Amino acid sequence: MHAQALLTLALSLNLAPTIAKTGSKSISFANYGNSFVLLQQTIRGKVLDEKGQGIGGVTVRNLTAGTTAQSTSDGNFSITAKQGDQLEFSSVGYDRQSNTFSGSGPLTIVLANKSTVLEDVTVTGYTNYSKKQSANVSTTVKAKDLEQVPMASVDQMLQGRVPGMSVMASSGQPGATASVVIRGIGSINGISDPLYVIDGIPIATSELKNFSANDFESVNVLRDATGKSLYGSRGSNGVIVITTKKGKSGQLTVNFNSQYGLSKLTRPKFQMMNTQQRLQFEEELGAFVDPDNNEGIGPGWTYSPKNPDVAGGTSAYKARAAQILDSLRGINVDWRDYFFRNGKFMDQQVNVSGGGEHVRFYSSAGYYKQDGVAIRSGLDRYTLKNNVDFDKGKLSGGVNVTLGYTNSKFTEGVGASRVGSSMASVYYALPYEYPYAPDGTLIHFGNEDDYFILDQREGSAGLERLLNSSSSSELFNTNVGLNLNYQLLPTLKVHTRLGIDYNTTTGQDYINPDSYYGSRDRDPTLGGKGLFAEDNLRSTNVISTTGLTYQNTFDEKHNLELSAYFEYLYRRNRAFGYKGYGIDSRLPENPNGVTVSPTYLPAILGGRTKYALASYMALGRYTYDNRYSLTASYRYDGSSRVAEANRWHGFYSFGANWNIKEEEFLKSNEFIQGLSLRASYGTTASTINGDFNYLATFRKDITYGGETAIRPYDPGNPNYDWEYVDEFNAGFDMELFPSKRLRIAMDYYNKITKNMFFDQPISLTSGFLDRKLPLSTGKMRNRGLEMSLSGDVIKREDWGVTLGVNASYNKNTILYLSDALTEVLDGDTRIMRVGLPYGTYYAPEWAGVNPQTGDAQYYNRDGSITTEYDETSQAVTKSGSMFPKWVGGFNTTVRWKNLSLDALFAFVSDVSRWNNEDFYNENSGYMTSNQSIRMLTDRWKQPGDNTILQRIDVSREYTSKDIQDASFLRLRNVNLVYQFPKTLFGDQKVIKGARIFFQGQNLLTWTSWRGLDPENSEGISRFNYPAPRTYTAGFSVNF
Amino acid sequence: MKSFKNILIIGLFTVGLSTFYSCNKLDLKPSDTIDPEKAYRNLDDIDMAIKGAYAGMTYTLIGNSVVVSDEAIYPLENTVGNVSAYRWQYTASSSSVTSAFGEYYVVIDRANRALAGLEKLEKVDADTKKHYQGELLAVRAFAHVELLRAYAASYEPTALGIPYMLKSEIGHPPRKTVAEVISLVQKDINEALSLIGDEEAVYRFSKTGLYALQARAALYAKDWPLAIAASSKVIAAKPLADRTSFPKIWSDESSDEVVFSLRRTAADLPKEDDSPAEGPIGALFFRQDGEIALYTPSNKLIALFDKNKDIRFGSYILDDPNRGAGKQQYLIGKYLGRKEADATAGLVDVKLFRTGEMYLIRAEANTETNKLNEANSDLNVLRKARIQDYQNQVIASKDELIDAILAERYKELAFEGHRFFDLKRRKMPIRRGPQDAVNTAGALLLESTKAQYNFPIPADEIFVNKNMVQNPGYTK
Repeated sequence: MHAQALLTLALSLNLAPTIAKTGSKSISFANYGNSFVLLQQTIRGKVLDEKGQGIGGVTVRNLTAGTTAQSTSDGNFSITAKQGDQLEFSSVGYDRQSNTFSGSGPLTIVLANKSTVLEDVTVTGYTNYSKKQSANVSTTVKAKDLEQVPMASVDQMLQGRVPGMSVMASSGQPGATASVVIRGIGSINGISDPLYVIDGIPIATSELKNFSANDFESVNVLRDATGKSLYGSRGSNGVIVITTKKGKSGQLTVNFNSQYGLSKLTRPKFQMMNTQQRLQFEEELGAFVDPDNNEGIGPGWTYSPKNPDVAGGTSAYKARAAQILDSLRGINVDWRDYFFRNGKFMDQQVNVSGGGEHVRFYSSAGYYKQDGVAIRSGLDRYTLKNNVDFDKGKLSGGVNVTLGYTNSKFTEGVGASRVGSSMASVYYALPYEYPYAPDGTLIHFGNEDDYFILDQREGSAGLERLLNSSSSSELFNTNVGLNLNYQLLPTLKVHTRLGIDYNTTTGQDYINPDSYYGSRDRDPTLGGKGLFAEDNLRSTNVISTTGLTYQNTFDEKHNLELSAYFEYLYRRNRAFGYKGYGIDSRLPENPNGVTVSPTYLPAILGGRTKYALASYMALGRYTYDNRYSLTASYRYDGSSRVAEANRWHGFYSFGANWNIKEEEFLKSNEFIQGLSLRASYGTTASTINGDFNYLATFRKDITYGGETAIRPYDPGNPNYDWEYVDEFNAGFDMELFPSKRLRIAMDYYNKITKNMFFDQPISLTSGFLDRKLPLSTGKMRNRGLEMSLSGDVIKREDWGVTLGVNASYNKNTILYLSDALTEVLDGDTRIMRVGLPYGTYYAPEWAGVNPQTGDAQYYNRDGSITTEYDETSQAVTKSGSMFPKWVGGFNTTVRWKNLSLDALFAFVSDVSRWNNEDFYNENSGYMTSNQSIRMLTDRWKQPGDNTILQRIDVSREYTSKDIQDASFLRLRNVNLVYQFPKTLFGDQKVIKGARIFFQGQNLLTWTSWRGLDPENSEGISRFNYPAPRTYTAGFSVNF
Repeated sequence: MKSFKNILIIGLFTVGLSTFYSCNKLDLKPSDTIDPEKAYRNLDDIDMAIKGAYAGMTYTLIGNSVVVSDEAIYPLENTVGNVSAYRWQYTASSSSVTSAFGEYYVVIDRANRALAGLEKLEKVDADTKKHYQGELLAVRAFAHVELLRAYAASYEPTALGIPYMLKSEIGHPPRKTVAEVISLVQKDINEALSLIGDEEAVYRFSKTGLYALQARAALYAKDWPLAIAASSKVIAAKPLADRTSFPKIWSDESSDEVVFSLRRTAADLPKEDDSPAEGPIGALFFRQDGEIALYTPSNKLIALFDKNKDIRFGSYILDDPNRGAGKQQYLIGKYLGRKEADATAGLVDVKLFRTGEMYLIRAEANTETNKLNEANSDLNVLRKARIQDYQNQVIASKDELIDAILAERYKELAFEGHRFFDLKRRKMPIRRGPQDAVNTAGALLLESTKAQYNFPIPADEIFVNKNMVQNPGYTK
């Protein structure tokens, strides 16, 4: 039925020649409708470029009559035509132009240079409206800022570049994606990632690392409703439209880029004790653990001359004790040396591009290798890209093919706090713990009884795991897009696009059966003989878009563009995996090493899921006299992810743009070179996380009397609906000074998520003990301001300085939860409360250490101070939220002759995170592990001490001091480039240009954050993988 | 060239139009999970769903009754547990005594869903369908009785009972009165009796099991005639075990006099951390890891047995003088596990109804209806079956007889989840002996006026169910 509607529309447009054929670029309404005979005549004309110079060799075609002519070197041409004939002008390096002949000559045709229009056009994936003709708010990051950035995933490169967009790395693991939030977090249960679309094909965030940003021509971030509504139910978090490089007509160009570099570990603000300090600490505490048995926390007390057992011992024992302490003092291990390293970096790319008049191509091959700073981690990537586009007559199209293969290797125990987790072991390990025996044997929990050990072996336990296991993931993707356009009539174009993205992820985990780690009969090594696990996910995504675009100008002032599309999107995932035990160490990292027996029963895992989305769209733009533009869009989406009752839903947007510069009173103003005002309103929905959330489901995972039984697993929700987002935007663009040296843009938005899901517990009488039902009763608002300003401070022949600043402020507020709730706990440390931002921390306020008693003090809610800790009655919301209010960046380019320096700073402010590292590193409960220096120097010892940390025997509780300010300013990227002068290459035809560059990534960070890395999308900081600092040097040569 | 173009145009449209057919492709179904349409396709599926309901039945209340009554000691060797429930310090947030609330509504919901699924099945064997309907109604009634025993504000007819769920629903049901709950229970039982077949069963509800349930419900409702009638049916169908087979009941070597028990095999044990399954019942009282007795028989209870002649003493209580210093000599012996060489320690079937209980119900009902001879006779028959060389006794006073029956229940049904609720039924305080004072921190007497005399409704339920009322004395 929907199909019929579209067909009717298509037919009505098709069968109305009087409308369809009327007018076009240069020629006014002709008497085409009347059928009197028209005269064939020879017409003359001249083809000029934008500077008014004649262009030679332009092919002039009379499409109606089928005749062809060429322009002379000064641009003159002649061809036979009659009134109403369709003339086409094309030449290498220029945009094709076609006009309807009005019947009178001579003609003057101006051809625009090809591909110079990027800046003025907003590429949304469905429309290419001129910036001056739509209310769209978007930011384009161009190839120059994406090429050769030493990061594998493009999302991370966007940090600090786009107003209103927060980009937080999730890990320092090479290839890790970032958590990208545009205009504030708009969903609690749904996905908050933006939608990534590469050449019309939607791509999962996890797949981004498989694409080389060196192949990207532009990345356009759509932020307001006019852009997002085009994507309907998937659009509410913003859309990032990526366009890859295309070949240009003209000479064949070969480009070779190469760079090498080094990544280094960044240092946190806290410092762990060294051996000297640790032994002193142990001695100070004395018989802390068990005074009755004179037991302290380590050898610093056991062998201390102050220990009565030593003092009262024989002289031989005293000498032995002194000798032991002496030899411990001789060991001072910085455990980072065992778990971290300097990572090597390399990026090589070669691309070839070029083309003739009708066919153009861009091909590239790339190899990217980055070792992580954590041992074992790294990424290897191979990419192959081939874009071909063609046009012949009324037909144009292109084929884009990308192949990518990535092998990611991971380190051990990221984000875990258990003893043995490698990342935590770095800090738990005692400085006098030396991992190896004199014969080189690693001394760990499994063999420590054979040695005289005075430490806890926590570092060696982590090291033993790290050295005896492996974890990796391979991602292979094939991404093929085909698009065809046919100019049915001069004003009517048919498009179709077919995209296929097929990717497979193969994960592999191995634990050496001969290691202590692999010898324990418990998860993950059931049977106590290693583990080999493999899992495979195959994802097939198909998208097909077909539609019509009608464009016309009436009376020279009324410009109209209408489009209608049908789109279908389908995704199918197949997953399979197994966990094998009883590994034969002669067959490591191989399924053949797995033993299958009742003791070593392998586990089989897997699943299948699918998802489909069908959409009908109608889009329109009307511009009056280049001054007033109105845009409207409607998209009717049906998704398999929504309950049947709510399956189909329409999303719309309206936008208005006033290009004030075109008004008479501003047209000739030299100072104001550009000014436009815009406003838009529209609706979208956020992507639902999970394919069948609405359905009640049953599982066969229980037994009665050993026999399989069935149970309801998910209650389901027959009213399951989208989360709707309504967004208003108003803003302006301004360009000042004659050469547009200063550019300002500002936007205000108000975004409201309605029908918002959040997990609500349901009555136990429903029969579900721990299932929370995502009920759509919530409402949340994000309101904010985005500003960007860029200017050419100095703009001379030899000298140039550009400065750019962008900043945005977002205020998130939960407006409503449900009839029954005005607040609900969000995990252990946060609360969702009406009137407060989502992500607000909830903790008792720390009132410092009592100088007289050394007790830890907390604030009661009434403001009084107490030493009694009670989280339930004391927790308050004064510690901020995990989502930042301010994000932004600034960049500068300084150019002097052939030398240029680019610097990008990124900042985040008004953001808090839970620093869980302090909790482990400054806690008397974990004192047998190493502690931060503050435990020695800033601990309360006697009345009158004004200290940060409480008396040693007072227990460490979770308070507001654990929620710390994670604001930071980071020198994200510095790039110094030297472009060799053209004269250097003389007359030889081989090398056309070359440049060398030096680059630094994450060079400096200013922050008061105490933990490992302020930048992390996790609200909790617990032994995460910190972002590295990377230095690279490279060159680029053009042939 | 022209025809090439035409082909292309046609091709273009074909690609575009072919996707129109996909409109109906939005009706995708999950393949990783079973959706409601596939859950109850036939009687085999229903059978699986009934097993699912039995699988949800837990021994939580058995454990609760042992911990909070005068049946057990919290020995010094137990340094690994949480003593607060033993000391009656529970609140609405304590999972110890509130978790059964959700667990039994899970059972009820599974039964209700299966009933609804069964209702829709046509062209299936009518007898089996009726039998399953009866069985599911029995399950539903049983679960509500368990909830009522644990969470009613008292057993007076007008007291706050529990919500009665007649269908699967996500809502905010209010509490019904005890009388209302009882009447719905008896209605379900009567309907079930009219549907259920005659085949015997131990691990699932049978007709005999239904009568046993009816007798117990009648006991709590003080419906003495019904209690007598129903218990008599069970006694007739399932005689008491003799002294040879009686000890074997507790290692599952004999099912004599077992009317209904939950079948538990090694395959039912939890395999993962988040498994919904329970561990072996013996683990409630004894931890194998480190061989720690968590709860041991109270001296008050031990003293009541004739250690040499009462077959129950050796069956219920393990006397192990060789456990070493600081360890309890007497352990709970009812749940030690099966006898096979590879048996999991503590893993045995969970006995829910036995004929012994039926004699005691009938004795109590006879006493209350002033049939003292019949009552004395029931008590004597039971004792004779249990105690060697037992001489019949006649107790002439009604009050003394009630006391004797309660004392017999204390012994006969020890560690089977009755003691606490029996005292609550009689509004008698929980009184621990001075010889059992270890670890009580003074918690030796729980008066019936105290809040903790009745278990609290879980705080989470009060929070989300606007119609839910808490038991008196608890905040929230």
